[in-house]
Amino acid sequence: MALSVMLGIFGGTVAVDALAADSQVVNLRRLTEKEYRNSIADIFGKEIEVRGTFEPTKRTNGLAAVSTSFLSVTPVGFESFSKMASDIAAQVTAESYRAKLPCAPKNLKAHDEACSSKILAHYGLLLFRRPLSGAELDNRVGLARRITEQSGDFYAGLRSSLSMLLQLPDFLFRSEVAVPAGDGKQLTLDSYSRATLLSFLLWNTTPDLELLRAAQSGEMNTPAGLTKQVDRLMASPRLVAGMRAFFEDMLQLDTFDTVSKDSLLYPKWGSGMAESAREETLRTVTGLALQDNGDIRDLMTTRQTYLDRKLAVLYRVPFAFTGDWVKYEFPADSGRSGILTQISMLSMFSHPGRTSPTKRGVALADIFLCLPTPDPPNDVDFAEVNDSNSRLKTLRQRLMAHANNKVCAACHDRSDPLGLSLEAFDTIGGYRTMDNGEPIDASATIQGRSFIGAQGLGQYLHDSPRYPACVARRLHSYGRSGRRWASEDFADTYKAFQDSGFRLRALLRGMAVSESFYSSAPPAEAEKKVALK
Amino acid sequence: MAVMGLPFLDCFLNSKGQAQTGGRPLPTRFGTFFWGCGLTHSLWIPKKAGTDWEMTTQLKPLEPFRKKLNAFSGLRVPLDSKPNGQHWSGLAAASTGIAPARSGEFESKTIDQQVAEVIGKGVRFRSVAASASGDPKQSYSSLGGSNALPAEATPLSLYLRLFGAGFQDPTKGDWKPDPRILLQKSVLSAVAEDRHRVMQNLGAADRARMDQYFTSVRQTELQMEAELQRPTIEAKVAIPEAPSKDILVNNAWPNLEVVTPLMARLGAIALATDQTRVFNLSVSSPQNQMFKPGDPLGFHQSTHEEGVDPKLGYQVRVAQYNLESMQLFAALLKELDAIQEGDGTLLDHSVVMAFTDQSYARIHSVDGLPVLTAGGASGRLKTGYHVAGDNSPVSRVGLTLQKALGVSVDSWGKDSLQVRTPYTDLLA
Repeated sequence: MALSVMLGIFGGTVAVDALAADSQVVNLRRLTEKEYRNSIADIFGKEIEVRGTFEPTKRTNGLAAVSTSFLSVTPVGFESFSKMASDIAAQVTAESYRAKLPCAPKNLKAHDEACSSKILAHYGLLLFRRPLSGAELDNRVGLARRITEQSGDFYAGLRSSLSMLLQLPDFLFRSEVAVPAGDGKQLTLDSYSRATLLSFLLWNTTPDLELLRAAQSGEMNTPAGLTKQVDRLMASPRLVAGMRAFFEDMLQLDTFDTVSKDSLLYPKWGSGMAESAREETLRTVTGLALQDNGDIRDLMTTRQTYLDRKLAVLYRVPFAFTGDWVKYEFPADSGRSGILTQISMLSMFSHPGRTSPTKRGVALADIFLCLPTPDPPNDVDFAEVNDSNSRLKTLRQRLMAHANNKVCAACHDRSDPLGLSLEAFDTIGGYRTMDNGEPIDASATIQGRSFIGAQGLGQYLHDSPRYPACVARRLHSYGRSGRRWASEDFADTYKAFQDSGFRLRALLRGMAVSESFYSSAPPAEAEKKVALK
Repeated sequence: MAVMGLPFLDCFLNSKGQAQTGGRPLPTRFGTFFWGCGLTHSLWIPKKAGTDWEMTTQLKPLEPFRKKLNAFSGLRVPLDSKPNGQHWSGLAAASTGIAPARSGEFESKTIDQQVAEVIGKGVRFRSVAASASGDPKQSYSSLGGSNALPAEATPLSLYLRLFGAGFQDPTKGDWKPDPRILLQKSVLSAVAEDRHRVMQNLGAADRARMDQYFTSVRQTELQMEAELQRPTIEAKVAIPEAPSKDILVNNAWPNLEVVTPLMARLGAIALATDQTRVFNLSVSSPQNQMFKPGDPLGFHQSTHEEGVDPKLGYQVRVAQYNLESMQLFAALLKELDAIQEGDGTLLDHSVVMAFTDQSYARIHSVDGLPVLTAGGASGRLKTGYHVAGDNSPVSRVGLTLQKALGVSVDSWGKDSLQVRTPYTDLLA
């Protein structure tokens, strides 16, 4: 149900004309494309179409979400936002939609102060995730009045003001406002910022009326009120949408946007494969972590997955089911191990026509162990490593030549074994036993621990304490983005996660109900990235 | 998509042969062409300097435009104490004159934006960027910092941006301003008036971001003002019909070969109809992911993995990709040169700077970065030259182009890349 349908339960404005003197904006996050689309669908209904393009984000410290705290809106981006805003406002004021608006004017051709105020206060609250101040509302209603007087059309005036709301930074950016905490020393997020943060974190959309009500009543700043809202949001099936957004970012599934495969070498890779592969991984992750409330470490080892017809072809699995997606379990001898061997992870980090153990290894170390790899030295001589005419025959032998060079070994000793253990899977994720006429050797040794193949790698990651810690760390930075925490105290939350047997829900809940999650240090100007000189 | 070059009517020429449009000379346009991973030294650099240079293997696709071309070899890219950011420092130095401290960021506006401020006023789009390999992030046009101006990533999206909503065909007789634009403009003015409120309670970094936001609002307002005016144009071009659906856009050569000329043509028509005066086209990321079906490695990976042929002294497959990159540049020039306007072609009234990120991608070196320019800037830039190995910083090219385009600038670049002397021999 669109939020607007519930009009009348909550509305009106709060008479504050500016932020309180002791409050400050500690984080401004540009809406992502999904956040924007979900917000529009929830506020105006799914029948309102969002037509336009969004500026790209930029993955930073492993997450695209982090960049929303330092990117701005370029002229090209604003032009698009502006067009989308007038388009959405036109749809919302079209005749077919008007019955859904909170009120109708007495006269179609004249300004109606009361009705205009009512509509703009209502959508202002939903779009800005806080009530409009009296001055703000006067200003928006004033624009509607001017345009109505010029055009002799109530809805033309309304359209302009709605379009304006949709173009203001208050909608396009999620603003986190901090106020002094109870102890007077630290800063903590105000109630509307908390409602917004929770809603986007857990549902990937704008706060609903109940959250906004809790924000207005001050409940969001009491432990009991906060917990009640967290539990309500977590009990909803919409939690899946929130966690899909997180995992899509964490697993870097947007990499697919720029991956091409060689159609001559891999004719099976067709259009739509990337979307299916992305969906498979998201279904697996949310299925295990949310529906089944499983141990997050099992994502490295599970043979359970979800397939559609296209993927079944690539996996060479007979697809003898009805429906679009089916749950499927790979046989034990399939060599498959969790999301590591899904088509998404295998094909995103490969070349168009060939695997790259280094590329895979670098990606896995970053994504699952939070170990980023620096660029190789500029003037490195790749000849020995890469010259296929050299005395070193196989790709493995050539990669292993890195070990003889201390500078290379520092990174390759970590990345290459991870990738080499996945060599039984080609660049589009198909299983193979031979490569270039040579049998595949998928054995690997990392830090003294030896294992074979993807299942060995899966077990290694499953058992590595770095992996669940990395998931927790990423979720943590996904939640806070550019906001600096006053308290870095995450130990209790992590312990709850550990004690639960690494259940995602325990981690999420622990984080979302803890007061430290909402704490803030004053923004450190020197450390923050300045988007524009 | 037909572009018709109709015979030019002599009565519109003044005594000097320059086109006149109600007394207004034709605008000069600027463009950039970016491809990743550079060229092969021994195959692209002519032995002779000056105008009498011999055609080389890798410049061969540009043969039809030889007289409109300048090639710069032996340019230095001094980075001082800055790191050599792989696949970044070279392109940032060429396009800003500043060695960047961090990869992925520009420390000033890029040259196309500096030029656009001067030549791009009063038209709909200050600049337009397109990515022929389908990635909006593949734009090397920036207002500085981390924000790049996103590229249109398919021919359809480029078409819609240029000739979709807000476009009034100036080649048609019944041009009239769209009244809806006036409404949108009043909304934008109202948004702009909120600046003071928005700026309150912000830290310095977020103030800078909101400053950028309001600059963007202002630019969209200017765009709408421009949309209320009928552009004066000389070229006889027809606006193509909208493509009914998009085509596959990615790094595979067969697609690049189709998409690049399509995007080039749309950009050329936009320039000719004065929708914009700055068009930036990229065909790859700096780590050029172009690949030929059947080649498991592709361009970038080949630069690092292919052995140097002991007899030939270069990487054979890489050389082929270099050549193909020049074919894509030629495709852009072909579209610009096909449109007649005034006393010459659109290309004659433009300057296009083709640049890249590496001089020798195999070892990520930047000294000797290849830079090519095409077009005579309406007679202000002499062409047909090979400017060879004079050890100038790469920024000298950028300074020269800005002088030719009428940008008032005495020096350009920073630190060792700062230059004060353009190639005066090239300036007419």
